[in-house]
Amino acid sequence: MLFRRIYQFMIVYGVFVGLLLAVKTGLSLSDYVIPGIPLILDTAGQVAGGFFRDVLDTLSVAILGQGISIFLAFFVGILGRRSSWAGSMIRVTAYNIQAYPIVALAPIIFILLGDGFLSRLLIAAMICYFPLLLSVLGVMAAPVPDIEHFYLATGRMCWHLEVKIRAFENLSKLTTVIAGSATLAMAGTIVAEFIAANAGIGYSIRIALYQSDLAAILTALFMIGIVISVYQGLLESLGEAVKAKWGSENKGALL
Amino acid sequence: MTHIQRGVIGMAVWMAVAACALGIPTAQAEQTRFNYRLKWLFNTSVAGDVFAMENGFFADAGLDVQVKEGSPEKDAIKELELGYAHFGVASADQVIRALEKGADVVVLAQVFQVNPMQWIYRYPQVQITHPADLKPYNIGITFGGNDETIMQTLLATIDLTLGDVKVTGVRFDFTPFLKNQVDLWPVYRNSQGVILAERLAKEGETVRFLNPADFGVDFVANSIVTSGSLAADHPDLVARFLSALLAAWEAAMDPANQAPVLAAVKKYDTGTQGQVQAAQLNATRILVKPDPDIPVGRIQTAAWAQTEAIMLDQGLIRTPVHVTSRLRNPASFQ
Repeated sequence: MLFRRIYQFMIVYGVFVGLLLAVKTGLSLSDYVIPGIPLILDTAGQVAGGFFRDVLDTLSVAILGQGISIFLAFFVGILGRRSSWAGSMIRVTAYNIQAYPIVALAPIIFILLGDGFLSRLLIAAMICYFPLLLSVLGVMAAPVPDIEHFYLATGRMCWHLEVKIRAFENLSKLTTVIAGSATLAMAGTIVAEFIAANAGIGYSIRIALYQSDLAAILTALFMIGIVISVYQGLLESLGEAVKAKWGSENKGALL
Repeated sequence: MTHIQRGVIGMAVWMAVAACALGIPTAQAEQTRFNYRLKWLFNTSVAGDVFAMENGFFADAGLDVQVKEGSPEKDAIKELELGYAHFGVASADQVIRALEKGADVVVLAQVFQVNPMQWIYRYPQVQITHPADLKPYNIGITFGGNDETIMQTLLATIDLTLGDVKVTGVRFDFTPFLKNQVDLWPVYRNSQGVILAERLAKEGETVRFLNPADFGVDFVANSIVTSGSLAADHPDLVARFLSALLAAWEAAMDPANQAPVLAAVKKYDTGTQGQVQAAQLNATRILVKPDPDIPVGRIQTAAWAQTEAIMLDQGLIRTPVHVTSRLRNPASFQ
């Protein structure tokens, strides 16, 4: 799964760069508009090391932000799973808040918290939190009658068993959503860095943009793509392992 | 049909679609509407451009020119090459970087005779009479921006680097300067500089501006550019455009025309108060026409050569581009 993610990204990136080069050749554009392969390679040789460290810096913030948002999403999702007034209120609030563009709130966050680590973390967490929350709410609020009926009828149902049943029955969906939210967390962190931070790959992209250096931006995109592919691949592999382990250990106990 | 043939045909179709999508018709030369891409949003610093558009300077020259607002993401030189614009405004560093990468661009006129990129500071708390005076202060820098290059050059005149002084990365938000956390803050003298000066004046504080040119660092700012091919193939067209535009700038910088100029600017920049715009226009006038005898648009060849030398020295370009060979004296078109 990990290698499939990487080579799929390489294909997409290769097609993208190929199209750019086709436009460059077709329209006889200079390296200033679209850099040629020698310039891309030359620039990559100069900036790749620094950009790789920047991407890891960004990824570390994204992982932390994603972890916080996963925790919060499950916390609120479990609280809001009930069809009670409070549960309904939490769901409606989550749906409404999701509609706010986090990017528009970002400048306020930077003014309040400065342009350091906390702002990047908060924006990363906010951007991936709401889609996660909606999925978790959807999973947790949907009963699994075939299984839950037995525990309800025998009076053995408790909240953590209910959560466990619903999570297990939707493990593939949750794994996919968590892996997908990695992209959102990464994108959120990059956006935060681009707007106002003083570190990370988003910050480096902004400087490259100031200097009209598309070759550097292409290098940064490659680094981001590779790293996020590896991270997502690892998350998916982890999800599969958890599913296999949890299934073998708990399915018998549940049923 | 083989795979290769299909590939070639597919590529040809794709290229045709791409060319159409990029809006590059073969009959471009016959196009009568010309696009002029500014570097920044409509405000008082582009008073001459707005005045030309609003007061019929282009129409009088028999031209249909659409003046288009700029932004950080828009690059006039790229648009010239892609055919989206015929004329544009670009900073000197943009021009030099573009030349290094093979762009066909020529400079027609230099809008600002004095670079508006300067540092604001509170006076008398901060006193700068020599670059060495900068050493104890916390200096705001936009990393990757022009001001970083300019400050590096200024410090180099006294054998210092940015590592030898306290530097703070700056953004759109003035809070660190207003909170006195940063002593010198980079601003465009005629836009943000005016707003900050007024704001601090209300608090009873006096400000001054550090102009690197006062210490021999002449880094050229915005200039009017076009493609080398347009300048070579249609000198009459370029002459008409430039003549109309510079006449508009001359008129806009004339204090006697302050009211109609501000009215024209207000039409496009509705968010800035009138008194601020008046102060911004006064500040712009000093930068564009610092002396009544200096014609608007004069190209300072020595400053361009120094700008290239600075960029070369700081590794922003790797090979000389001989930018002075791409400067076209406005008089040569008139």
